[in-house]
Amino acid sequence: MIAAVWLRAPARARLHALRELYRRFFGENTPDARGRRLLAEWLSPAQRAQFEQHRYFDVVGCDTGRIYRIHYGTAANVHEIDGEGHATMGWCFVPSGFLVPGDVMLAQKIALETDERGALALANRFPPATHSEHFYRRPF
Amino acid sequence: MATQIVMDQTGDTRHEFDPGNAEALARAERRFRELTGAGFTAALRTGPGEVTRIRSFDPTAQETLFYPRLVGG
Repeated sequence: MIAAVWLRAPARARLHALRELYRRFFGENTPDARGRRLLAEWLSPAQRAQFEQHRYFDVVGCDTGRIYRIHYGTAANVHEIDGEGHATMGWCFVPSGFLVPGDVMLAQKIALETDERGALALANRFPPATHSEHFYRRPF
Repeated sequence: MATQIVMDQTGDTRHEFDPGNAEALARAERRFRELTGAGFTAALRTGPGEVTRIRSFDPTAQETLFYPRLVGG
C-alpha cells in the first residue's frame, strides 16, 4: 500500500506540474489576461502600482478634477471618491459588447481622463455601498 | 511598425502596419474611419499613463487604441 502510494506520488507531481504549465501558458493567453496586460500597458506607473496592490486605481476627471476609483470589474465598478478615499457616488458606464474587465477599465479611464462630462452624461448613478470592498477583491 | 489595437471579446486584436508603406497606411486609415464611423473611440498614448482622444487619423501615431461606444450600465 505504502509502496503503491510512493510509486504514484511522482506521477501525481508530474501531472500537477503539467497542469500548472498548461494553466500558466493558456492563462496568459486568455481574453482576461490579455485585457489585464493591455490595461497595465496604458496605466501610469502610479496607477499600475495601485492596481497591483489594491485591484483598483484612481483617475482624475479632466473636466472637474474629481477623483474616480475604478475597481476591477465590468459593471458598477466606478466610484467617485472624496479626499479621504470614501466613495460618494457610483457611476456605471461601460463599452458596448461583452469586453473583459481590463478592457472595460481602460475604456473607463480614457473616458474620464479625456471626456469626463460625456462619460457621466450617459452613465447611470448608483449608491456607492451597493458592493462591499470584499466584492471587488475576488481573485482574478 | 505602428499598431492599431481594437478591443474585442478576445481581449484585443492588433493590426500592425508599416507607416512608410503607402498602401498599408491607406488600409490603416480606412480601418480608422470604419471603426470610428461604427462608434469606436480612438485614443493615443502621449506619455506614461497619459492619453488623448483623436477624431481623425494620425499617420505618425505609433499606437492607436479603439474601444466600442460607451453606454450607461
